[in-house]
Amino acid sequence: MPMNEKRCVITGLGLVSAIGHDTAECFDSAIKGVSGIKDVKSFDTSACYSHKGAEVDLSNEELADGRYDRTTALGIKAAGEAIKDAGIDMNSEGASEIGVILGSCIAGAACVEKYYNKKCKGEEGDIEDLKAMPASVIAGNVADYYNAGGITANIVNACAAGTLSIALAIDLIRGGKGEIFLAGGCDSFSSLAFSGFHALRALDATDCSPFNHSEGITLGEGAGVLVVESYEHAVKRGAKIYCDVLGSGVSSDAYHITAPRPDGEGQMSVIRRAVENSGLGFKDIDYVNAHGTGTAKNDESEFLSLKTCFADNDHLSVSSTKSMTGHCLGAAGAIEAVMTVKALVEGKLPPTTGYSEDDLKVLAEKSGNIDFIANTPRERDIKYAMSNSFAFGGNNASIVFAKDPNVLNLSCPKQELYVTGIGMVNGEYDEETKSYTANLDTDTFKAYGVKSAFLRKLDRLSQLQLLSGVRALEDAGITINEDNESFVGICIGTNEGPMTEIANFQKGIIKDGIDKGSAFAFPNTVYNAAGGYLSIFTGIKGYNATIANGYQSGLQSVCAAIGVIMFGYENIMLASGTDECTDIDREIYSDLGKAGKGNVTLGEGSVTCVIEKNSSATERGAKRYAKIAGFSSARDTSGDRTDNLRLSETALTKVINNVLEEAGMKPEDVSCIYGFGNGIGSVDAFEMSVYKKIFGDDIEVKLVKKDYGEARAASSSLQFAKLAQDIYEGKENNGIAVSFGTSALYSAVLLTKA
Amino acid sequence: MNNEIAEKIKGMLVERLRIPEDELEYDSELFGEDIGLDSIDSIEIIVGIENLFGVDISGAGATREDFRSIETLAAFVEAHKED
Repeated sequence: MPMNEKRCVITGLGLVSAIGHDTAECFDSAIKGVSGIKDVKSFDTSACYSHKGAEVDLSNEELADGRYDRTTALGIKAAGEAIKDAGIDMNSEGASEIGVILGSCIAGAACVEKYYNKKCKGEEGDIEDLKAMPASVIAGNVADYYNAGGITANIVNACAAGTLSIALAIDLIRGGKGEIFLAGGCDSFSSLAFSGFHALRALDATDCSPFNHSEGITLGEGAGVLVVESYEHAVKRGAKIYCDVLGSGVSSDAYHITAPRPDGEGQMSVIRRAVENSGLGFKDIDYVNAHGTGTAKNDESEFLSLKTCFADNDHLSVSSTKSMTGHCLGAAGAIEAVMTVKALVEGKLPPTTGYSEDDLKVLAEKSGNIDFIANTPRERDIKYAMSNSFAFGGNNASIVFAKDPNVLNLSCPKQELYVTGIGMVNGEYDEETKSYTANLDTDTFKAYGVKSAFLRKLDRLSQLQLLSGVRALEDAGITINEDNESFVGICIGTNEGPMTEIANFQKGIIKDGIDKGSAFAFPNTVYNAAGGYLSIFTGIKGYNATIANGYQSGLQSVCAAIGVIMFGYENIMLASGTDECTDIDREIYSDLGKAGKGNVTLGEGSVTCVIEKNSSATERGAKRYAKIAGFSSARDTSGDRTDNLRLSETALTKVINNVLEEAGMKPEDVSCIYGFGNGIGSVDAFEMSVYKKIFGDDIEVKLVKKDYGEARAASSSLQFAKLAQDIYEGKENNGIAVSFGTSALYSAVLLTKA
Repeated sequence: MNNEIAEKIKGMLVERLRIPEDELEYDSELFGEDIGLDSIDSIEIIVGIENLFGVDISGAGATREDFRSIETLAAFVEAHKED
């Protein structure tokens, strides 16, 4: 088999779940069919109809050093094993290039509960809990813990997040934006998720039984981390190679915020994408680690999807390890990816457990040509294995691992990319709340054909996102139809995501009880709901990811969108930055301000930019605002790594130098900077001093936050969009938009005339 | 129809399901074209009514027809409410 220059390999594994403290123990349990499902210990479930969960029997102190939220602590535990397994010395120079991409669904839910437990009693909330609440801090904290100095990202696409994070890692490696990543996912057990799935009547009263009785899920917790590395890098450092990771697929159902399409269209689309992206056919796949949650809706549509896609495959085995680990939400895809790699390498395929003799007879009748492995493992020498994840928001992700390399089926990475549409929602200053808030009246939505029956489902974050998304499509002159629906994707950046919905849901169950969670509100507590609604309303069926990674997330969404166009199916990506400003946000920032981190005037908004490849823009005769000439993210681990709000001149300088080099420009060629200054004196002074060092005293620095407030990810997207507009209107020849995240992460995008 | 019960149900629907108050009449078809509720909303209605009146409408055998409008829900609650 010929080698591929973009070959990506797996060189390390880390796992912690209810069935083991490390990869060997978890996989051994899975092969033996040992279930980790027991009665829930984390909180009182006596008022609920289900009491089952798959919890990890290690304390936060045993997982990490006790300083972190449990989700992060689980990630630290699995990442530590993966680093050791990969033989990486984190004190060596090489550690500075290791990136961390982690998926999570519920993020710091344990700290959300602790914080609002105190608040609801009228006490002061613990500032450390407050800082640990958003998903934005997870990957940075794990990276800082181990001195990993590469870029970070938190993928927050609910139950597909763990798989998507691996897909993003291989896109970044193939795009030349990194050589080695710790990629995976982590999520803790939480009253929030338990109450939410309980409200939806989606929990099984007994142990979950995927592809069998299908009466609901059993929630679990854990983390899976894989070291994903370029082949050249792995060989250079003499690493042990488990297997290749070939291609990936990501798609949207554009159907319902919680339920999968009954016809399995989105699932089949993502399986096809991953198989084709890997240069394979359906007949090549030997094993699928299924999403297999145990709900009737999932199992029926997934069964149909597998039977349809693999109708001509006579050697496919399928199992769901969730029958033992429980459904670990944002960690699930990563845990299952580790299981899949182990199955491939060891030739042992774990079973789905919990089948009685009668169940086995029913299974035999319905499974047809597919070998649904039940109760006992299958020993088989296999070449190609797939892991699938399907999530709330209609997000689907699939990834393919292989024993040997393969000629991949990637799109051309060299095509030029343009900004061809802009949609904005910005805030106006409100004296009463002393913040910038957006006007979201129903007439504005009605003008775009949004019916009130749909609109009422959307939380504020989703409304902001929907409005900027449809405005961007309108501005770009794009109508989604059957011809283009699969070739348009979405990538959203956010700092806090739906923190208002999360906080209100948590406060509701503190007041009324875990058994009284709101079924209506729960779907909006996941970070990717906004992207899900945008896909449902517009009909976009391509890529769909949400990145929660600090203020710079709006710019990072552009960087990720570029990778998707290079290596995926999409011709067009909507890249957004969105954050809201509500009483909850104002309270959070007020509390943070009291803790001495400086006060900002909060804002909110959503800005969506259409990123399009040259051939597509030419074919459509699209308006071109500007050309993307360079993009970069970088971090720095020098200084006090326990302070994730530290500033870094090194990283800021690096991203600027990187985009200049990529664009073939010198500092003196740059017309302007769209900076991130937000009125905090120390931050603003730091930023200006770095620009002056690089560009000299005369560099023009434009700031959007003085006019629209600190709208976090929306601000970084606004910087990008304003720069594109200035270039289009001839005000600037070119420019760089720059922003920052936690743990000294910076991103920059350089735009030039189209 | 008991107006007091109907008004409470209306308030609950406006609060818990964010239905615009001016679009909601006592005879509006909740799951039809008028309001467009779905299965998740029906779960929310069950919890909302149990919290308001202590009536488990699901356990008491409410049918699809009982969920048709505020009027039908109010009638079902009145018939099953323990005073």
